[in-house]
Parts: sequence; C-alpha cells; structure tokens
Amino acid sequence: MTTALFYILGIILLAATLMCITRRNPVHAVIYLVAGFFALALMFYLLGAPLVAAWEVIVYAGAIMVLFLFIIMMLGLAPQEVPEGPGWQRWLPLALLSASLMACTLLLILEDPAAGQKVGGFYLAPQALGEALFGRYAMAVEMVSFQLLFATIGAYLLGRPLPKGEDQ
Amino acid sequence: MMIPFGHALAFAAALFILGLTCVLLRRQILMILIGVEIMLNAASLVFVAASAYWRQVDGQVFVILLMAITAAEVAVALAMVVYLWRRKRTLVADEFNGMHG
Amino acid sequence: MNDSLLFLIPLLPLFCAVINLLFGMRLPRLFAEVMAVTGVAGAFALTLLFWGHAEGDGSRAVLFTWLNSGTVDISFALNFDRLAAPMTLMVTGVATLIHLYAVGYMHEDDDYARFFALLNLFVFAMLAIVLADNLLVLFLGWEGVGLCSYGLIGFWYRKLENAKAGTKAFLVTRVGDVFLGIALLWLFALTGTLSINAINAQAAAISPGVVIVLSLLLLLGACGKSAQVPLMTWLADAMAGPTPVSALIHAATMVTAGVYLLCRFFPLVSLSAVAMTAITAIGAVTAIYAATCAMAQREIKRVLAYSTMSQVGYMFMAVGAGTVAGAMFHLLTHAFFKALLFMAAGCVIHLAGDENDIFKMGGLARRGPVELFWAFLAGAVCLAGLPLTGGFFSKDGILLALFTHPDPLYRVFWLIGVVTALLTAFYTFRLVYLVFAGDYRGTGHPHALPLLMRWPLWPLALLGLAGGLFNLPVFVGGGEALHHWYGTMAGREVAASHDVEWMLIGLAAAIAAAGWLAAHWRYRGYRPPLENPVSRFLLSGWQADALVDRLFVRPFTSMARFCSAGCDRALLDGTLDGLARLVSSWGRMLVQLTTGRLTTYLSAFAWGFLVLLGWFLLKLVNGGGH
Repeated sequence: MTTALFYILGIILLAATLMCITRRNPVHAVIYLVAGFFALALMFYLLGAPLVAAWEVIVYAGAIMVLFLFIIMMLGLAPQEVPEGPGWQRWLPLALLSASLMACTLLLILEDPAAGQKVGGFYLAPQALGEALFGRYAMAVEMVSFQLLFATIGAYLLGRPLPKGEDQ
Repeated sequence: MMIPFGHALAFAAALFILGLTCVLLRRQILMILIGVEIMLNAASLVFVAASAYWRQVDGQVFVILLMAITAAEVAVALAMVVYLWRRKRTLVADEFNGMHG
Repeated sequence: MNDSLLFLIPLLPLFCAVINLLFGMRLPRLFAEVMAVTGVAGAFALTLLFWGHAEGDGSRAVLFTWLNSGTVDISFALNFDRLAAPMTLMVTGVATLIHLYAVGYMHEDDDYARFFALLNLFVFAMLAIVLADNLLVLFLGWEGVGLCSYGLIGFWYRKLENAKAGTKAFLVTRVGDVFLGIALLWLFALTGTLSINAINAQAAAISPGVVIVLSLLLLLGACGKSAQVPLMTWLADAMAGPTPVSALIHAATMVTAGVYLLCRFFPLVSLSAVAMTAITAIGAVTAIYAATCAMAQREIKRVLAYSTMSQVGYMFMAVGAGTVAGAMFHLLTHAFFKALLFMAAGCVIHLAGDENDIFKMGGLARRGPVELFWAFLAGAVCLAGLPLTGGFFSKDGILLALFTHPDPLYRVFWLIGVVTALLTAFYTFRLVYLVFAGDYRGTGHPHALPLLMRWPLWPLALLGLAGGLFNLPVFVGGGEALHHWYGTMAGREVAASHDVEWMLIGLAAAIAAAGWLAAHWRYRGYRPPLENPVSRFLLSGWQADALVDRLFVRPFTSMARFCSAGCDRALLDGTLDGLARLVSSWGRMLVQLTTGRLTTYLSAFAWGFLVLLGWFLLKLVNGGGH
C-alpha cells in the first residue's frame, strides 16, 4: 500500500515539476512547484524522515517559495508574460542534451548493484535527528547560522535603493 | 514500504534533470533560480533515500543544513533579482552580458 | 738601478694619459700639455738610464701576476733586451719630439685633453708591444695601439669622413688581429707558455708544417698593423687624423709594429723558408704597389702615407731576407725621416692655409720660413735614398741582403726593390718640386707657425741624415754598430765581396740620382696633374677599395641582407609572427565563447556534465560492472 503510494507521489512530483518548468507565468510555476514539494515531503516521510518532511513543507514550500512569490508580486511580473521563448534551434539541442543526461543517469543508477537493494521500514525519530544536529553537527549548524547572517547582510546591501543615475 | 533503492534514486535523477532542463531552457532569471531549487530538492531526495538505505541519521542532517543554506542562497539571489530589475527593468538573463569578451 | 723600475717606462705615459683623461679639461691647458710631454720625455730619459740593462740577455721585470689558473701562470712582465732597447729609445724619443710638435700644432684646438690623453695612451700601448715579455702583454699593447689609432684618426669626429676613416682603420687592422690572436693561442696550445723567449726557444721542436702556418698567421697579423698587402687600404685614409698622429702612429711607430713582431718571433719564423719567402714577397708587392700609388697622389699626406707603406715593405723584405738588423736599421732611420717629413708636411699645410693638395701649393720655399724647406728636403733626401743619408744606408743594406740571398728567387725581389727605389726617388722629388718650387698656386691664407712646430724638426733631420752612422757598413769604414749590438738576434750574416757591395751602392746612388733627374725634368716647371686612366688607377690605390668592396663588403652586405630579410625577417619573424597570429586568432575564437551570457555558461556546464557521465558510462561498459 505505502509502496504504491511512494510511486504515485513520485509521479505527482515529476508531473508537477514538469508543469512548473513549462509555465510562462512565474506565479503558476511557483504554485506547481509548491504542489510538487508537498509530494516530495510525503516521500521524505515514507523514507523515514518525518522531521525533514515537515521542514520541507515549512521551509521550502512555506518560506522559500513564498519568498519567490513575494518577489514576483513586488516586481509586478505576474500579469506579464515572459518574453517569447527561443526557437527550436536553440531549445532542441538543449532538450536532447537533457534527455541524454537523463538516460545516462538512469543507466548509471540502475546498473549499480546497490540499486536493487530494498529500502524502507526505517523511521528516524525527530529526537535522534535533533541530538545529531546539536551534538555531532553543532559546529556545522553554527557555520550555517553565520551563513544565514551574512546572506541577510548581503541581501540588505543589495536591496538598498540605487544611487541616482544608475536607475534606468 | 519496501522499494528498491535504485527507484528512489531514479526519481531523484529525473527531478534533477527536470531542474537542469529548466535552468538550461528558460531565459528568465527567476525561472533559472526555480530550476536551481528543483535540483537542490533532488539532492535532498538522494540524501534522505541514502539515510534510509544505510539507516543512519547523517543524510537527514545534511538535508536540514541544505535547507538552511538554500534559504541563505535564495535571500541573496532574490535581492540580486531585485537589483537587476532596478538596473534594466528586465529579467531576461541574456540581457546581462556585460562580461562578454 | 733596480730591474723592476723598468715599469716606469711604460707606466709614466699611462699615468699621464689617465690624469689627462680624468681631469684634463679641468686642468690648465699648459699643465696638461707639459704633463703629456713630460710623461713621454721621462720615459725617454728612463730608457737611457736603463740602457745598460739591455746588454747580454736583457732584464726582465715582473709587476704582478695577471692570470694564474692551473698550469697557466701569466705575469705582467716586461723584457728589456737588445731588440727592445733601440726600439724603446726610438719610440720614446720620436714621441717626445712629436708631443712637443703637437703642443704647437694643437694650440688652437679646444679638445687638447682628449688628444694628449690618447697620444700618451698610445705611447704606453706601443711600449707594451715593444717591451712585452709574454704574448698577453704584447696583445694588450697590440690592441691598445689599434684603439688609440682609431680614436686619433677620428679625432675630429664631427666630420663624418674622419670618423669613417677611423672605423676603417680599426676594422681592417682587426682582420689582421684575428690572425694574430689565432697564432698566439695556437702557440700557447703548442708550447704551454706565453713567454716570447720560451716560445722562441722551443720553436725548433714544433713540426715544420705548423711552423709555416703559424708564421703565415703572424705575417697576416703584422700585415694588418703595418698596412701591407692585402690589408693596406686603411693607411691612406688614416691621414684624416691630425698630422702629429700621422707622424707618430702612422709613420714612425705603430705601422712598424708588424716588423717588430716578426723580428721578435724571428727564431720561429726563420725556421720556415716558405714563410720567409712569403714575408719577402708581401714586402716586395707592397713596396712596389705603394710606390706606384704614391706617384699619382695629390694630397701631401697621402703621398707620405703610401711612401710609408712602401718603406715598411722594405722592412718586411729585410726580415724575409733574414736580416733582423737590416730591418731594424731601416725601421729606425725611417722613423726619423718619416716623422720629420710628416711634421714638415704639417707645417706646409699650415702655411698653405689648410690646403692638402700639392697641386695647389708651390713656391713655399720662398713663402715660408726657409728652414722648413731645408728640413723637408732633409727628410726627402733620406726617403729618396740619396747617398750618405740614413735612408740610403739602411735601404742599401736591405738590397744587399736580398741580392746575396742564396735563393735565386730573391733576385726578383731585389729587382723589385731597385725599381721601387727608383720610383721612391721620383715621387719624393715630385713632392718637393710641387710643394716648394715655382709660384704659389693656392688661395689659402697661411697660418702662423708656432715655434714648437719648427724646432722639433731639427733633431729629427739630424738623426735622419746621420742615421747611417748607427750601422755603417764595414766596407765604407763603419762598424756595423747596430748589427753588433743585436749580436745573436741580428739574423743572417750578410756576406758579400766588396766589389758586389760597391757595385750595389753605386747602383743605389745612380738610381736615386735618376729618380731625382726624372722628377726635375718633369716637375721643375709646374705642370697640371695628368688626367688619364693610369693616373686615376694609381690615384685610387689600384682600386683596392673598390676591390675590397666588391670582394668582401658587397657579398657580406648581401649575405647580411639575406640573413636579415631572408632568414630573420621572413623565416624567423615570419614563423614567430605566424605563430603569434595563430595563437591570437585562437584567442579571438575563444573570446567568442565568453559571451557574457549566463545561458551559454550554463549550457557549457551541462555539456561538461554529459561528458562526465559519458565517461562513467564508458568505464561501466568497459569494466563490465564494478
């Protein structure tokens, strides 16, 4: 039952992502992506990572993607159609490139002996994750927090109003 | 639930390639960034699957760290998008070719 | 006196040269002049003081060790022996007189410090040649005199032709120097020593074939310095320098350095009959060549220059005939009368208002001070070889040595010598008649003759006229003093019956008289110069410059042009430029890759990713799994 659910979720994820990347309207794209991330969060849960699944919803779908939406709204991009896409001469080779990359990757994965091994029946309690995060990985957490601080300062600097004359 | 490890990885790979395709084919900076997000999530899926495969906590820890770093990256990237928009009133990536040779 | 004080002889002029070079322009003019003259005069006085040291095997003085490396131990050493002593005395004596003369000659020139510094430096270098104990010191002097000669020929370098004449002299003598350098290095390689005496002592041990080649190399070196055929073209042009320079360097001392070199290496050179014949032949060819050229020259100093070449040719013939004493005898008398002639010519040019052309002179016997005429005439009769003058006896000694040489080929050289003597007498008196006889034909305003330009002529005139006394032949009652002084170094004993000697001396006197009469007949009344192909040919020195130009300069120039245009510019530059253009075009192609567009970079990134994955796949297929 859950096994089938995993595949269904996977297909939903891929379909939503495909819809996302083909949308011209960025708002639609972001909405599709949020849907895809919900499916991904459930897949995380099925793979025994409930905390990660929760955060996927909270941080990714809830915060990051909403941030995207904010920007789209702020810049007034939503009603605008993005410029006309390039001709097939440009996108066909790139599409073929993506297809070959996909084929190569899948071939490499499925040829791997570990690919046949079963996964599942694993459940990591949030407590264990928290102990690992603030125990063994405390230093990494600190570094990432600094990273976030720097990013905040950087975003603040970039977001200041332009000096006169540089605005087009 | 028992699934082959390869299938989880295959989903992740497909997701990654979709993100890559988005990055390659779309010309709008915002969509390129969305493509990057998709690829990052594909990586997260691999981490979580690997965590389940080896029955270890580390994979999930990395996903958490990855999310935090992604948040930082998105903050800067979107600030830049705003900046570029102010400069040129456009988000078409090819318009920003000031570093051509 | 201590032997080591011998060093003062060359070092005194060097010291004065250095002082003049460094501070000359800041010193009072009188001081610079007096110092220059004193330096050389001091050397002369020292030579007289040391005269006794030259007897026997001579004295050797070591100043310091120059090079010391393994078996090579070369010291800066001087050797004052019987060959060197008369030469040293002549060089310093004549140089003293010429320095005095130069003080008068240069009194209007502002660049006196450079002039006297170079002149003193020249005396030092010349003394280094004369007194050298080893080949390195000799070569130092050899190159030193060349350098000073270059600097003094082009002394008035603002005129391009003067500078060119200096360069020409430098380059042509350098050709000879190369051969000399080869000879010196070869001698060192053969004997392991650079000491001249040691090399001469070991000369007999060298294989005959090598001796021939070595002698010919030395001969070519001597030819360059002494302006002998084939390296003779520079001397006539060297007359562009100031007249004291012509007198000192290009008549009395430096051009005889080649003769001195051959005399120094006489024990080596005389081992090879072939080399001796070659020396004589070169001397003979030069003697007659230069004498014919001198007959057609129009400039007074060029006439004298060609006569110098001709007389040095006699000295070569003397060395070739085996008589070092005869060569040195002629060298000494020639130095006196030729220096005298040049200095008198300088006075003549002064009187003629800086006019060089003898066809625009004339009547200077009455126009100028009469003593100048007598001084010039004294030099001229010596050069022409009128009986009882120094030049007469020295030239006769050479002709006698040629005549009595056992090899019949030397009779040919003797005949050339006799003909040259006739030509010499003719052109000498041609010069005298054109300059001093008749009416003044020029337009120049005479300069005043300073006293210092007049009286140095007299000692030289006296020495030239009475020079025969140095080596008066036995049969006229003389003692052959110079021959006895040289002793074992004198070379072959010239032995002939008194009849032969009287016959030759009579012939020489008759030839000199014939030359005089011919000139008297031709030039007593002024006649304009001949304008025919022969005289033009002779005037240009048998077209030697054109020949050198065609044989060496032009092929060299075209080769250089080929190397420059063909090899360097077309091949090397072309290749390098082509490579540079190729790289540059690649660069331009690569520049197009940096479009500055994000999409390009991203897709390049993706293509690279594909390559990477393809590589893994390939490994998978090849490895058949993991």
